[in-house]
Amino acid sequence: MERKNILIFWFLFTSFLGLILIYIAAINLQPINIGISQITSELIGRMVLTSGKISQKTPNPSGHLFLVISDDKSSIQVPIFVSLMNDLKKNNVTENDFKVNKQISVNGLVGEYKGQLQIVPRKVSDIKLK
Amino acid sequence: MLLEILLFSIFGICVGCITGLIPGLHINTLIPLIMGMTFLFASPYYLTVFIVSLTVTWIFISYIPSIFLGAPQEDTSLAVLPGHRLLLEGRGYEAIKLTIIGGMGSLIVTLILISIFSSSFSYFYDMLKPYIQYVIAIVVLFMIFSEKKLKKILFAAFIILLSGFFGIITLGSSMVPSDNIFFPILTGMFGLSTIIISMNEKSKIPTQKEDSNLQVSKVNLLKSILLGSVAGTLIGFLPSIGVSQAATIVSYLGRIGETRSFLATLSGIRVSHEVVSLLSLYFIQTPRSGASIAIQKVLPELTFYDVLLMIGVICFASGIAVLMTMFLGKRIPKFLAKLNYKYLSLTVIIFMLIMVFLMTGVYGLLIVFTSTSIGLLCANLGIKRSHCMGVLLIPSILFFSGLNGVVLSVLGI
Repeated sequence: MERKNILIFWFLFTSFLGLILIYIAAINLQPINIGISQITSELIGRMVLTSGKISQKTPNPSGHLFLVISDDKSSIQVPIFVSLMNDLKKNNVTENDFKVNKQISVNGLVGEYKGQLQIVPRKVSDIKLK
Repeated sequence: MLLEILLFSIFGICVGCITGLIPGLHINTLIPLIMGMTFLFASPYYLTVFIVSLTVTWIFISYIPSIFLGAPQEDTSLAVLPGHRLLLEGRGYEAIKLTIIGGMGSLIVTLILISIFSSSFSYFYDMLKPYIQYVIAIVVLFMIFSEKKLKKILFAAFIILLSGFFGIITLGSSMVPSDNIFFPILTGMFGLSTIIISMNEKSKIPTQKEDSNLQVSKVNLLKSILLGSVAGTLIGFLPSIGVSQAATIVSYLGRIGETRSFLATLSGIRVSHEVVSLLSLYFIQTPRSGASIAIQKVLPELTFYDVLLMIGVICFASGIAVLMTMFLGKRIPKFLAKLNYKYLSLTVIIFMLIMVFLMTGVYGLLIVFTSTSIGLLCANLGIKRSHCMGVLLIPSILFFSGLNGVVLSVLGI
């Protein structure tokens, strides 16, 4: 076999091997389970799982839903963007299901918007209403 | 106050020069460190001046490791290949000069564009936002069909899909904090793979020619500056579309296939993008870069006079940064030419891997292993390395079409 073809097969193999290992790591990676008050700017860019009760709910004309969830000590913003809201609707979860004082657990990426920390859920299973 | 502003601007330029020379160190990695040292700055204006000067200087200086060492950043990844090509022809200094001319020319044109169209930015922003996924999809199709033969078109589609899948699982998981995720991805795809290939071909960096002649026509250079300015201004307001995507679009639409024009265009886009990102805080009240997010924190309500101050600092810092880039661009290759290229390349590879490990941990090493493999596969298939940008383009299409959550759910990530 020509040297170039061997190299192509070798790099094809290593690319797939790397992708498989990354995929296995990604599906087995658990988010950090943490209280709202423990979420700090050091966790920006990390995936966390937290829970609390909905203390504020602000629907947006574009279809987004902005929540504030709180525990005894602290609170954090949870924006649910329109694409996720649409996915939730397909799973029979509508804006009306997000009632103030209702318990919720959120899995999402910690981010910052206008100086405020937030958790951004990305898929339906990231939100669990209790 | 003027003296303090000048001093903090010079301080920012100095830090920008040092950090710009460190391979792989992105400005977005530095900004959080600076924000942890706000106590050093007596006024938010001093901190703003420092950040603006640092950012502008870093943009120019960071081409030196990109071109001479093949160490890419997110924004310079597409410059590594043409820059490295010129380096191996002994034209590394010309490559640096092209990035300077492209960047400075674009700065002037961008400031003119801003002064003319500033009142319409908000309108353009709202108008274009819903169609971003279509724009990116068109870019992907452009990239695939830019290959001439059917076999290569199929290879290109395969690499874009492979890179895209790689992007979906790495960007979709929290293996590495999102601030640093592009470092191992782009270091492997464009940096390490380039160095590994050139290690087999060259035993040393050829002696660099110092002549000031640019082997590109003035018309092409002007075209690059204008296209770079317009593209950089547009993406400065749009979410997700970055410098690399804009450079891909512009190089196809503007028929900029030539290495030198491409470098000037890319630099123009970078500078224009950063300037508009900084000023977007005032025009659309939305930050568009790491630096603008930091400035928004210290100066939440920007006034017109704050914008004028920022423009003044951008111009001042750019002028000094250009001189510093030319000075260092002449001296660094002389030093590098004395070294054995293979040992130098090995040192750079080890340095980059250490940086990847320090910044992103073991998962970062796994990501860099995979991204290097994909970069090397692409090179051995004989197609353009820019197809690897599928790593950003495919996840962006999914994100803006609202399919990101569905795909992540299907994949179980």
